[in-house]
Amino acid sequence: MPEFHRKIERSAIGFVLAIVVVASIGGFVEIAPLFTIDDTVENAPDMRVYTPLEQAGRDIYMREGCYACHSQMIRTLRDEVERYGPYSLAVESKYDHPMLWGSKRTGPDLARIGGKYSDAWQVAHLINPRAVVPESIMPKFGWLRDNPLRIDDLGEHLTALRDVGVPYTDDMIANATQDALGQTAPDGDFAAGVTKRYGEATQVRAFDGNPATVTEMDALVAYLQILGHLTGAAQAGVAVQPEAAQ
Amino acid sequence: MLAQLTSGERQLSIVVLILMAMVGLAMAAAGRGDPIGVHGFIVVVASVAMIFVMLSGLYAPEPSAERLDHYYDDPSKVGVILTMIWAMVGMFFGVWVASLLAWPDLTFDAAWASFGRLRPVHTSGVIFGFGGNALIATSFHVLQRTSRARLPDQFSPWFVLLGYNLFCVLAATGYFMGVTQSKEYAEPEWYADIWLVIVWVVYFAIYIRTLARRKEPHIYVANWYYMAFILVVAILHIVNNLAVPVSFGHAKSYSAFSGVQDAMTQWWYGHNAVAFFLTSGFLGMMYYYLPKRAGRPIYSYRLSIISFWGITFMYMWAGSHHLHYTALPEWVQTLGMTFSLVLLVPSWASAGNALATLNGAWHKVRDDATLRFMMAAAVFYGLTTFEGSFMAIRPVNALSHYTDWTVGHVHAGALGWVALITFGSIYCLVPALWKRERMYSAKLIEVHFWLAISGTVIYVFAMWNSGILQGLMWRTYNENGTLTYSFIESMVAMHPYYIARAFGGLLFLLGAITGSYNILMTIRGHSQAALQPSDDAPQRNLAPVAQPAE
Amino acid sequence: MSWEHETVVAFSKSWGLFYLIAMAVGVLVYTFWPSNKKRFERAKDSILDGDDKPWK
Ligand code: HEC
Repeated sequence: MPEFHRKIERSAIGFVLAIVVVASIGGFVEIAPLFTIDDTVENAPDMRVYTPLEQAGRDIYMREGCYACHSQMIRTLRDEVERYGPYSLAVESKYDHPMLWGSKRTGPDLARIGGKYSDAWQVAHLINPRAVVPESIMPKFGWLRDNPLRIDDLGEHLTALRDVGVPYTDDMIANATQDALGQTAPDGDFAAGVTKRYGEATQVRAFDGNPATVTEMDALVAYLQILGHLTGAAQAGVAVQPEAAQ
Repeated sequence: MLAQLTSGERQLSIVVLILMAMVGLAMAAAGRGDPIGVHGFIVVVASVAMIFVMLSGLYAPEPSAERLDHYYDDPSKVGVILTMIWAMVGMFFGVWVASLLAWPDLTFDAAWASFGRLRPVHTSGVIFGFGGNALIATSFHVLQRTSRARLPDQFSPWFVLLGYNLFCVLAATGYFMGVTQSKEYAEPEWYADIWLVIVWVVYFAIYIRTLARRKEPHIYVANWYYMAFILVVAILHIVNNLAVPVSFGHAKSYSAFSGVQDAMTQWWYGHNAVAFFLTSGFLGMMYYYLPKRAGRPIYSYRLSIISFWGITFMYMWAGSHHLHYTALPEWVQTLGMTFSLVLLVPSWASAGNALATLNGAWHKVRDDATLRFMMAAAVFYGLTTFEGSFMAIRPVNALSHYTDWTVGHVHAGALGWVALITFGSIYCLVPALWKRERMYSAKLIEVHFWLAISGTVIYVFAMWNSGILQGLMWRTYNENGTLTYSFIESMVAMHPYYIARAFGGLLFLLGAITGSYNILMTIRGHSQAALQPSDDAPQRNLAPVAQPAE
Repeated sequence: MSWEHETVVAFSKSWGLFYLIAMAVGVLVYTFWPSNKKRFERAKDSILDGDDKPWK
């Protein structure tokens, strides 16, 4: 044994290997099984992917660091379920690359924020939170309404997402830019394509109140309004009861 | 400093810099209209500037072979200066974002200055800028002394140090432009991540090459910790950052993982970044500088070995305690909780070992603020690891998670442990590197010490209060069985604590500024006579050893 | 990937435990092996000498 270790140590390489082996096993044991989990976790046949506009909104959510103050993970605790709604299921973030569960609630959880407020409220709140909630300490995001959304490259975004496993079809990728235009202009030519590709329930409206241009505000609000509604699995009632928060 | 490089190394540097400039140019061209183009431009400017610096010394005479009789400390010197610059930058942004939570409009009405973009500048600035540079600078110093061997060459240490700082600059400037993967403590995008891998491979090579040429038969335990830091951070970084870029002209990429798998991967990374970046590396620092400063050998060398393997082994299992009561399978949560509890054993072994080393030298701790920095760091290390294990217990976590308690815990570790051990080590290192008898002012070290301690204590107490209060308000029911407090009420209740926290942070920042001034004055030689050249160092008083094999 | 989730989990749980114990025993044996004592003693003192030059 000591001879063995002395050898390992003398050629520092052996020592390096020892560290690598010792350190990586823990991660492997914990993480590897999660990659085989797909077949046992809840199934949600109604789960849909994000539209290009919603995905763009999600990217803005990351860009602006909303995740630093907001979680998107309702834990299985009674008070959380009563405050925020049915607890989050694994399947709900299946297409989230990366996940945005968050680790800090400086602001409330947003996992089920979709539909809680009107578009107009969301827009006003994002432009100046204190105009809507006087005590709020949330930052202002006024520039989102002025910035046009970059939509010419949305197809590339969806392609990259398909590469990591999100089931976007060729049709969705080819029409990504049009679908972004369509989802914000219900009376325009492209609106029908959106519901055809992403389902009748897809919300098609001028999220920022102005159908003429697609802004970053459109995208972000479209994303917020779909949160918690990509599938009805959580609302449909689930087997496990939340643990009491005592 | 260029004079120390051989002409071959100067040429190599220029070739490498030209390559970098070309890559930068390609990024700038491919990424027009995208932040990656701006980053390409930054890379070009940095490389070209360095090319000019190199050209200015290209035809200087070859360095004399005499240099090989000394350790190569120039990179450590620059590293120390960069450490202090990043400390001030990172902590300044920390104070700013802390103030924003108390006074949300205390900022410019512009995207770059909003909380969500400034926060990662703070976290990366202190963790990677301040902490990373401190680790690189001290590791080169410790590695050479404990191996009794000079660094293998004069090019690669510069490549690591400056390359690493380029990474930090790309990270910070990226956040201002909204470039982020949103992965906590791994925000930089794919191209910066790839660059870091290259830098890291060279860093690792320096370590291995120096160790292979060592004249001591045994590898001193501090190096074990530094090695674990380098190796495991490499593994974590590569796995956690696997992603597919939208295109070569886009800064944006999409993570290879999603949902639960991504959550587990991110916290496996996040928790072990704490373990191997913020703990292992700094324990390496402690195991060298603390005994050195105290003038006493480490209390128990065996204990340090046991805690080394304990930490290396067990931390890797504990990440899932960040995901209690979430959609992560319960057995993984329980596993994470169990290991987090067991982890207390090697952690306290380290803290206890450090304090026991000082036993019998308490008069030194009383008189010497530098040593006191290290002692306080060991105490905070013990407290924080205890708190961490406690917070990993599921029911406790139910209360603490998502609240400021976590923030307080992180800062007990980051301010109390990481920053204090770093400042202590740097106050040892600076006079040694610049051959001064002592720091410019012992009094200013004393001032820094008390600013740092009071800042940390105010910060941590404020966050304990707010965190626990928040957690309790969220789960309080009234007699009708409904929730008593709205979210907004809990938010309003935080206000006084957020002010206190910003104040604590401000004290800590002032301490860092004081320290930087003290270091600057020491470097400029405003102190007692310079030391004799190290050639006159006292003879080793050790028993002769078996002749090393290499 | 024909691995069943249950199999992988079971493997992880049992071998993880075995590995933990084996690793702990290994480290303890190394640390307390009598002939290692001397090198450890030397190592802990050797950083304290004032020598600040590489050895030839
Ligand atoms: C500094 C932390 C912070 C950041 C960053 C932040 N928020 Fe908030 N957010 C809050 C706080 C605090 C509240 C509660 C007060 C309020 O409603 O304004 C809140 C409330 C909200 C609400 C209302 C939630 C509800 O249930 O009433 C929404 C929606 C929201 N934020 C969205 C966002 C989005 C989108 C972003 C990023 C563009 C963002 N927030 C960034 C702190 C933050």
